[in-house]
Amino acid sequence: MTEINRRDFLRKGGVGLVAGITSPLWFDMLAHGKNPPPSSAFFEERFGVAKEDMRKILEIALSKGGEFSELFFEYRVLNSVRMEEDIIKDSSENISLGVGIRVLKGAQTGYGYTDDLSFEKMKQTALTAAAIAAGMSKLSVANLTQKSSNLQVYDLKSPLNELKLSLKVDLVKEAYNAVKSYDARIVKAQVSFSDEIQYVTIANSEGLLISDVRPQVMMAASATAEENGIRNTGFKTAGGRYGLGFYQNIMPPKEVGKRAAQDAITLLSAIDPPAGEQPVILSSYQSGVMIHEAVGHPLEADGNRKKTSIMWDKLGKQVANPIVTIYDDPTIPNYRGSLNIDDEGTIPTKKMLIENGRLVGYLQDRLSAKFMNMELDGHGRRQTYQHNPIPRMGNTVLVPGDATPEDIIKSVKKGFYAETYQGGQVSDTGKFTFSVNMGYMIEDGKLTKPVKNATLIGTNVQILNEVEMIANDTQFFHGTCGKDGQSAAVTAGTPTLKLRQMTVGGRQ
Amino acid sequence: MNNDNLLRLAEELVAFGRKKGASQIEVSIRQGSEFSLDVREGEVERLVEAGSKGLSLRLFVEGKMARASSSDLSKETLEKLVENAIERAKLSNSDPLAGLPEKEVISVDIEKLKMWDPAILELQPEEKIAIAKEIEKICLGDKRVKKSYGSSYGTYTGQSFLANSNGFSGSYKRTTCSSGVYLQSGEEPNLFDEGWNDSSRILSELESPEDIAKKAIHRVTRLIGGKKVDTQNVPVVFESPMTASLLSFLFNCINGNSIYLKQSFLAGKIGEKIGSDLVTVTDDGLIPGAAGTKPFDGEGVPTRKTVVIENGVLKNYLMDTYSSKKLNMKSTGNSSGANNFYLSPGKSTPEEIIKSVDKGLFLTGTIGFGLVPTTGDISRGAYGLWIEKGELTYPVAEITFSGNLGQLLKGIEMVGNDVKFKDSITGPTIKVAEMTVGGK
Repeated sequence: MTEINRRDFLRKGGVGLVAGITSPLWFDMLAHGKNPPPSSAFFEERFGVAKEDMRKILEIALSKGGEFSELFFEYRVLNSVRMEEDIIKDSSENISLGVGIRVLKGAQTGYGYTDDLSFEKMKQTALTAAAIAAGMSKLSVANLTQKSSNLQVYDLKSPLNELKLSLKVDLVKEAYNAVKSYDARIVKAQVSFSDEIQYVTIANSEGLLISDVRPQVMMAASATAEENGIRNTGFKTAGGRYGLGFYQNIMPPKEVGKRAAQDAITLLSAIDPPAGEQPVILSSYQSGVMIHEAVGHPLEADGNRKKTSIMWDKLGKQVANPIVTIYDDPTIPNYRGSLNIDDEGTIPTKKMLIENGRLVGYLQDRLSAKFMNMELDGHGRRQTYQHNPIPRMGNTVLVPGDATPEDIIKSVKKGFYAETYQGGQVSDTGKFTFSVNMGYMIEDGKLTKPVKNATLIGTNVQILNEVEMIANDTQFFHGTCGKDGQSAAVTAGTPTLKLRQMTVGGRQ
Repeated sequence: MNNDNLLRLAEELVAFGRKKGASQIEVSIRQGSEFSLDVREGEVERLVEAGSKGLSLRLFVEGKMARASSSDLSKETLEKLVENAIERAKLSNSDPLAGLPEKEVISVDIEKLKMWDPAILELQPEEKIAIAKEIEKICLGDKRVKKSYGSSYGTYTGQSFLANSNGFSGSYKRTTCSSGVYLQSGEEPNLFDEGWNDSSRILSELESPEDIAKKAIHRVTRLIGGKKVDTQNVPVVFESPMTASLLSFLFNCINGNSIYLKQSFLAGKIGEKIGSDLVTVTDDGLIPGAAGTKPFDGEGVPTRKTVVIENGVLKNYLMDTYSSKKLNMKSTGNSSGANNFYLSPGKSTPEEIIKSVDKGLFLTGTIGFGLVPTTGDISRGAYGLWIEKGELTYPVAEITFSGNLGQLLKGIEMVGNDVKFKDSITGPTIKVAEMTVGGK
């Protein structure tokens, strides 16, 4: 069965999901403990790809009549380390190197990639990508001019990929011990830590040449609690485009472990959710998932250009309660979805999507922006050099209101309060679900019994109009989003929200 | 680099690792070529063609493990990778059960597994484009279909190589072809999207463009007008792909890693009756031409046929070498996950199963996550058709269905005869006594 048109948001939860790793395998430069700066010279110095060669390859890519060609060079080192059963089980180091070559002709895309950066191999790949167009080229390639982003939205102080493995092991142990020591009913703990450094250089036939160096770190803890034959698992992840300072000052590993353990213990007494339509409160803790699914995906430009998204004909129209304002901003520092440049070399901007309930914009990549005659906004992203760019979210945010979370809880006599999620999923038709790992019953304006494993279901058009109250306590959820077979690191933030009515799935 | 050279490269790196101080080392290399294309509204929208390779390795220094991988196969990178891994391994803790499997001889005749079809390599791009265009054209010719998200055709050919310091050295090659289409139907705000995709290792066994189009049209149009139903407990009939999705959850609950970590409700349940008499579940890596067939797993352990549940009784877990040692059992050749993991067919036809239901849900699709291996709890969004008096009546949408895998396995009352080995996890139509369907 195909799921090509599903977009989902998966908490980077289960520790097993994080590929293993550690110390940087960087011979020359990284051996001295320094990440080289973003520069197109990086691929020349490290892999022998000269600027003039890039121009030649771009020209070859246009030789069959293409209108636009582009090279995306990528070098990525991902390190990880994993602890379970009281021992450091393994560490790993993963290297990915290659170039993706894209040719556009009208709405058509030709794409090829290779992990061999020799001129001959790149030439062959360019010819493959060129074949999408069948004709003769009249276009020449402009001289490549090095550009740089005015943004610096990554924390590059004390990069974790340069940190010795033994020190990362200490971070992992701190989180692990916090899980195990939280409560005698905790029977299993797992903690993994991963850090990544990604070098990209993008060159295109319009003469753009731009580079970026992007860090990404993530700690994931899981805790399993057991009592009277009942077992439950709690999760917590924490990371972003940070250096060591994040785990020293903002989110100490012991807090990561403690939260996972706390949820596992709370879930021991959790009941099945009450099924049926009812008022639902989304807590600020992780409910950014809702904004991501219900608003973000349907407003990515590709589905709107192709008129398959339910939002394609609603630009300028009222689509939500006027208290709702939502934007996507990759320029917020240090979040998972933050970017100095997108994967097409565009410098991102804060993009307003819904303003006082009115639909005002879509998230663009180069192809869709051209066809919709709209401005580029830095949302063209790709998983690796093996993937063509598509419009994706970065950091999606719902603007806070003036209620307090307490006001909102007090306003509900009987309902459901969603706290943590396994993830969410949406289709182009606007139908979505959120899978709630843990929540609470609301009875007479108070949170009462914990609830496990509920599903919230609805359509985005409906939910946007059901938003009845918005609090002032924004928190951000950091996760990984899947679309068209590509994953992307994203962040979504929201304050506590009240939805007048939503269908909750549970057992009778 | 030609294929013999890649196996030699793996063997050389194993020797290098041993020389540098690894007590055990395993190197695997994959090489593959991908061709895929999408057609939308009659035009080729995207065409991808590429070759790639990747190496991954695992090594042990006195029971301490480290891993690494690279798409850069240059000698200096790989040797540095091994040296780094040896240094890192020393920072892991020693685990007496960690290590490579003992060498086992691969006795199966790889040719007989039918994993490779040269006809797939010979298919020209023009033919693939023509097939994708034909599928979409048939679909758009049906007035009930509103839009096409696009049709696709893809081929993949690849080869896997594995060598380790216990003397294992082996390789095999595989082909895959796949084709499908995704559609939209209905009227705003009640739009529906569905599609169909088929894949096969053997070109002649791929469904025809007409069949793929017909199935996709059927799947998307039967949902038109879908509405909510009242919240209630009813029998649920799982259409065959939905049984497969249930089985992939079951796989998470019976794989050795979840068991030794006690992250599954089936931990410690060997020998217990966990399902109805009708439930027999097997993993078999040796079914000729099937999607998950392979001669050996990612550690070089020969694949085999393992009965996991027999007439409702839990008989075995599916394990790699490490988890099998943790559980004091024997590896089942599942280090790469499920091979062909399936629920054995029963005697009933899907029609007979639907006929047997007085009032209930015919489940054709789910959306969302909502699966918890630790407890077996299931809670997802669902859609399908409502059954009244043994007949499929109106479509239902935006509902949830909830239950528990443990209870559900015990509640399987009928098993269909319609199993196909097009995916590595597969099962027939089944009927489950009762689940909660959430709606109004």
